[in-house]
Amino acid sequence: MTVTEVRGHGRQKGHTEFYRGREYTVDLLPKVKIEAVMPDRLVDQAVAAVTNAARTGKIGDGKIFLSRVDEAIRIRNEERGEAAL
Amino acid sequence: MFSPALEHGSRAFYRQEFERLRREFEATGSGRALLRDRTQFVDKLVQQLWEQHVSPVVRSGFALVALGGFGRGALFPHSDIDLLFLAENDALRGRMKDPVRSICQEMWDTGLRVSPTTRTLDDCARFDHDNVEFTISLLDCRFLTGDAKLFERLHEKSLPQLVARESDVLMQRLAEVTRTRHLRFGDTIFHLEPNLKDGPGGLRDVHVSRWLELIMALASERKWPGMANPQPNSETDAVLDAMDFLTSTRCCLHYRGNRDENVISWEAQDDLAKQGIATRSGPVSSAEWMRSYFRHARTIHRHARQMLEQIPRKRSSLYRSFQHWRSRSSNEEFSVVDGRVYLQQTVGARDPFVILRLFTFVARHGVALSVETERRLDNALRGLADTMPQDSRLWEHLREILVLPYAADALRAMHSLGLLTLAIPEFEAIDSLVLRDLYHRYTVDEHSILAIEMLHRLTTSDEQWLQPFASLLAELERPELLFLALLLHDTGKGMDGDDHVHNSAQLAAAAVERMSLQEEDDQTVGLLIAIHLEMSSTLRRRDIYDPETARELAHKVGRPERLKMLTLLTLADIKSVNPEALTPWKAENLWRLYTGTANYFTRSADSERFHAEECSAQVERIAALLPKRRSQLLKFLDGLPQRYLMSHSPEQVLLHFEMAKQLRGEPVQLAVRRIAGQHELTIVTLDRPGLFSTLAGILYGWGMDITKASAFSNRTGVIVDSFYFKDRFHTLELNPPERERFQKSVVGILMGEAPLERLLESRLKSDTKPARLKVETRLRFDDECSPASTLLEVVTQDRPGLLHTISSILAHQNCSIEVALIDTEGATAHDAFYLTCGGVKLTREQQRATEWALTTELDDSLPSTW
Repeated sequence: MTVTEVRGHGRQKGHTEFYRGREYTVDLLPKVKIEAVMPDRLVDQAVAAVTNAARTGKIGDGKIFLSRVDEAIRIRNEERGEAAL
Repeated sequence: MFSPALEHGSRAFYRQEFERLRREFEATGSGRALLRDRTQFVDKLVQQLWEQHVSPVVRSGFALVALGGFGRGALFPHSDIDLLFLAENDALRGRMKDPVRSICQEMWDTGLRVSPTTRTLDDCARFDHDNVEFTISLLDCRFLTGDAKLFERLHEKSLPQLVARESDVLMQRLAEVTRTRHLRFGDTIFHLEPNLKDGPGGLRDVHVSRWLELIMALASERKWPGMANPQPNSETDAVLDAMDFLTSTRCCLHYRGNRDENVISWEAQDDLAKQGIATRSGPVSSAEWMRSYFRHARTIHRHARQMLEQIPRKRSSLYRSFQHWRSRSSNEEFSVVDGRVYLQQTVGARDPFVILRLFTFVARHGVALSVETERRLDNALRGLADTMPQDSRLWEHLREILVLPYAADALRAMHSLGLLTLAIPEFEAIDSLVLRDLYHRYTVDEHSILAIEMLHRLTTSDEQWLQPFASLLAELERPELLFLALLLHDTGKGMDGDDHVHNSAQLAAAAVERMSLQEEDDQTVGLLIAIHLEMSSTLRRRDIYDPETARELAHKVGRPERLKMLTLLTLADIKSVNPEALTPWKAENLWRLYTGTANYFTRSADSERFHAEECSAQVERIAALLPKRRSQLLKFLDGLPQRYLMSHSPEQVLLHFEMAKQLRGEPVQLAVRRIAGQHELTIVTLDRPGLFSTLAGILYGWGMDITKASAFSNRTGVIVDSFYFKDRFHTLELNPPERERFQKSVVGILMGEAPLERLLESRLKSDTKPARLKVETRLRFDDECSPASTLLEVVTQDRPGLLHTISSILAHQNCSIEVALIDTEGATAHDAFYLTCGGVKLTREQQRATEWALTTELDDSLPSTW
């Protein structure tokens, strides 16, 4: 798992704020990106865990994108596949 | 020591003996004994090899000398063995090449890494500016075998003369090399996996200290320190203990890694702790073991720094050698010489108040203590244990130290000398306390001091993303409370139990009670500590743009000033965990959470009001002070904004209540008091049109500069207006009778008995508009945040009479001010007004008309929307 501090927006775009008379336009909102690689059999469980933890029911909850990983290789000993995870 | 049963001289014999020494070390844990035994053993080995390979060839003019760790008699298991083959002349050096090679080969075959060098006596006596390190290495030379007279000529004549002649260069080079080495490690002893040889506070610092002491002795005495006192004079028991600790640890690392390993890795820390290496009490936790490491490293680092301080500074040719540069900041108690603070000779180091003034001096000027001052304080420490104040007398000095620019330097110096824990015993529990994870780089005590330092450095930081927080710090009215909270916020980590926040709050409560902080102040410190993780937690788990998030946080902090403090505390707390912990991303999120909550305070001022039938815990506390008049009190509070309750203490609320009770007899009640360099005028009366504007005008007419103000009203139309102002011309200060005249003037004008215009006439003639407007006027109307009124936010350049001007225009536009929140930061005025017109929100046309009137008056220009 890798966690990165990012900025972005979905359909909600940014918004404008005021503080002490000064206008702040926030186009890209701060988000946390989590990338996790796992065996196929754990995907449904992982999706459920992230969804349950992150859901507030409001706009800006985020998205989960699933993609296939062709191969995983451990550099130290060249193990491949699930053994490399 | 040697097992006589084995064949003397065989390689197997030597290997077995080394193994036996290892087992002895593992049984006893004594690194010092191991080094001594290994050194003696290798001495015998090399002497034997010399007999075998050199003695048959030559008997004089050639000697074998130990250098480096071997020369110091401290041969670590996998350290190189530094040998100097000393020849009388070049011819001999050439002749002895083969025997030297044979010796080295034999040693390699026995498993010993030898690092040989062959030099003549003349080579050693010559100073090479490009190889100063070789001359320094000769400081550790020790005779092994061969021509003793030759060695004596080197040791007793050539070397002392060379060192005496070149002592300045040698010391300067040592200082430069040490500085470079320390910088390589970030100039800090705090690393997750420290290098105990080369890192600050490591063994190399011990060597440097000893070399410096030797050089100084040779330079002044022209001979080596006597054998009767082989230990350097400067090494205290604490330093010797620390050396023993590092020695045993390094031996263990060498055996563990089977090589010259000097980094105490994460896994090694676990092993060392489990084996109880260098501890007196046997196995300990890894965190406890690392705590010992940092304590010892700090001792050695300080000792090395003290030795380096004694190197005479380079002087330009303009200075005479006996003159010192004396700073203008010297006073009758302390003098600054060559950038170091000395106690004047007539000043006693045993007087705790002198000590506190000394550290105030350090905090103000950022100069370090001289070695002599540290030694005087060390000697006075035992006596100070009984006399160091911990009560309000301490706070009197501490509050000054905390807000000065070099507060962290002063606190570190106090802590390293054991004085901080005398003053604040709660700090003892976190002395060198380690939080052993990959996130916390510093010990808890260093983290707390670093957090204070971080805030002080905000103003000089060139990181753009920190600038908003620097502005916030400048706005604080009571920064010393924030810094005190930072100092104490993690003391609870030294107690048992998982809830360090609760523990810290308890410890802090005891400390602030002892220091006799005023009630409001101790509540502020207590609250900051009790919720010091609140914003971090919110950033991680909540949507910071959700109004509900802001509302909850606002209710927890209670007041805008405390919100500012909590924000800065959070920033400093994160930044001082490790150098990478605070990213611009995190800082921006923190700023957004702050502005959202600050805006909530402003925008909810009108909508969230107290209702008598929904009594909060806070109101119950106030009511408990007047149990017989509870219902009257609740009636007074009914309809007042929650903001009123949040921004006034129970005592202030009761005072206002009492004033309101007097209105039947005296329709205008006022109270004036001096507070923190300013005056506070509180008016309680019945509301009427233009009241706020009139009050602002009265103050302007008297030449007062309003810095803050608030205006609240309850359901029955009783208003509580507070004005904080600076007496520009010191009228009230310098003329006591004027205070009564001022109060009479306020009452008279409000009662209609005297005209405001006459008071303003002369003021308007004498005051001029600012020559150049530096702050652009910005106005913003918000119809959403309050159900019943329109919020108008005004940001403009502050100037005399500004509030009177704005409120007069609002009155002229038929706007009623339901709530006013007035603030000034430097040249900028931030004013928020909740307005109604005819009892309802302003229409769009009324907003435009008001905007026109304000902008043309304040900016001498048309509004940007026109």
